Amino acid sequence: MDTTIIDFLRLVLLSMVPFVLAGQGTMLGGRTGVFNVAQEGMMLVGASVGFLVSYYSGSIFLGVIVAMLSGALFGLALAYFTTSLKMNQFVIGLALFFIGLGVSTLLPKLILGITLTPPLIPTLKGIPIPLLSQIPFIGPILFNQNILVYVSVLVSIGLWYFLFRTQKGLELRSVGEYPMTADSLGINTTKMRYWSTIIGGMLIGMAGAYLPMVYAGTFTEGMTMGRGWLAIALTFFGGWSPLPILYGSLFFSAVEVLAFRVQVIGSFLPYQILQMFPYIATILVMIFTFKRARVPAFLGNNYDREKRSL
Amino acid sequence: MTIVKKSLPYLLAVVASFVAAGIFIALMGFDVFKAYQTILFTSFRTPNGFIQTLLKFVPLLLLALAFTIPLTAGKFNIGGEGQMMAGGIGAAAMGIMFADLPAIILLPLVILGGVVAGALWGLVPAWLLYKFNINEILTTVLFNFIALFLIDYVCTGPWRDPAAGHPTTVLIGRGGWLPMLVNNPPLHSGIILAVLVAIGVYIYTSRTTGGYELIATGANPRAAGVFGIKTRRMFVLSLVLGGAVAGLAGAFEVAGNQHRLIEGMQSNFLQLGMIIGLISRGNNGAVPFVAFLIAVLEVGASAMQRTMMIPVEVVFIVEALILLFVLLSDVVRRK
Repeated sequence: MDTTIIDFLRLVLLSMVPFVLAGQGTMLGGRTGVFNVAQEGMMLVGASVGFLVSYYSGSIFLGVIVAMLSGALFGLALAYFTTSLKMNQFVIGLALFFIGLGVSTLLPKLILGITLTPPLIPTLKGIPIPLLSQIPFIGPILFNQNILVYVSVLVSIGLWYFLFRTQKGLELRSVGEYPMTADSLGINTTKMRYWSTIIGGMLIGMAGAYLPMVYAGTFTEGMTMGRGWLAIALTFFGGWSPLPILYGSLFFSAVEVLAFRVQVIGSFLPYQILQMFPYIATILVMIFTFKRARVPAFLGNNYDREKRSL
Repeated sequence: MTIVKKSLPYLLAVVASFVAAGIFIALMGFDVFKAYQTILFTSFRTPNGFIQTLLKFVPLLLLALAFTIPLTAGKFNIGGEGQMMAGGIGAAAMGIMFADLPAIILLPLVILGGVVAGALWGLVPAWLLYKFNINEILTTVLFNFIALFLIDYVCTGPWRDPAAGHPTTVLIGRGGWLPMLVNNPPLHSGIILAVLVAIGVYIYTSRTTGGYELIATGANPRAAGVFGIKTRRMFVLSLVLGGAVAGLAGAFEVAGNQHRLIEGMQSNFLQLGMIIGLISRGNNGAVPFVAFLIAVLEVGASAMQRTMMIPVEVVFIVEALILLFVLLSDVVRRK
């Protein structure tokens, strides 16, 4: 029994990473008012590119970096179309989602050709932290994870510190609340929106790269299975704040792992019902949190300084 | 003159995206002209190609409308895929449970089963929006995944066809099959109904009071509310109508094409439908024409993959680029 619990909790931490990273990426862009809905496509591109680069270079590190760059590119496009050209954020987000969807399947087909046995990359190994990993119970759960688990936690704490404990972070948040005031105080709203969306894109790209590197060892079409969309729900759930998003992703991941575990063990329910569980749970959670969620006031809008009012 | 002026940006957008993709195809080392010839003319070279195009046109048209009807009221329905699958399940359920009924009862029952199931699949997100103010983009997407597993359950459950290698149900009753317009190659009569639906939607949204209320809600919900339009009810209505139309597409796949429920029937109609809807700028009158063009491209794309080994995704990216360039032409005109 003890090992089952340890195993379960270890898997929850392992599976939270894509949620944490994609959630924080969405949050960061949203904090300046850019509502990204292209996560699903961006994560797929991150997964595809991350897998291909790791496979050919033999370096997972390089794969993650290139996946982040591809995410940054999508973030840049989103920032340009919405902030500079002032186009509808949802429509542009959907267009980028489509492009990401197409590119992610096109690249492996072009580069690898159509193969029956997909090539595999080595999956990320756990890195035991000296001493800490020896602690009974907590050690194997918290301190024997792969590097991106640690990174995702550090990113969350770093973002919290930046947004809520530094002057620049305060300025960034003001852009997403009331850009006119921010502008009048001499804050460069355009620059803020660009950087938050680009860095947010990097995190989302990294979230995608995690999937082939930890679960399958290869890229499969549509392997995100809606995690990009779930990340948006998670961001609302976490009230667009880094630390609640981190805790919230534990819940999202626990539901995912639980559904999977019960399938493996077998139960009286058909396995398809269990597979639906994460999506149904997300909808239920939204019912309870959506009304109270604190959302950046300017979320989803574009700021035009030449207009008299917002 | 005005028509020329109006369509010029669209033409430029199409040309620009083809040029962009052409450069890409050339860089991959393929023959660009041959590729484009295949993409553009496969539909018109043989009767088979043309009928393939019409068969693609039906679900594309309906899924595009499933997106644009809610868009008229300012809501994004990204759940067309789930609603289509639910429609397929509803239609198949009717066709299998009442397999022995004569066509005059069974066929309407099958179609209605699809429409109602699709509408219900749109109703739940609509209700969540109405009651709890939950963003419809998220809920409609999540319902796609729920439908995905539901269809897997139905196709592997008690109605499974054990002889088939792929998860499918048994055939629906003969009375539930849509009559054929052309027998060889097969073209089912659903296309007539689909076009009628498109005309109906166009008339409803542009010529009736109810449709005007939808448009007013989409244009400015606050102003519409001030004038006594129940905007939240309009949101619900638009999403349910969208779901019903997508459900109809699912019913046609079952009653017209496969005569059974097959896992994977949804293809990528959702994404293409949304691309069509966005290229049409939510204009319900333009949707059928754009849908036909995309159907031509799609049929050409599969031919191109078969004969030239260029992946179909290339064409999908062309379609996404057309959308992006059409949207950009707006910005250019604004300046």
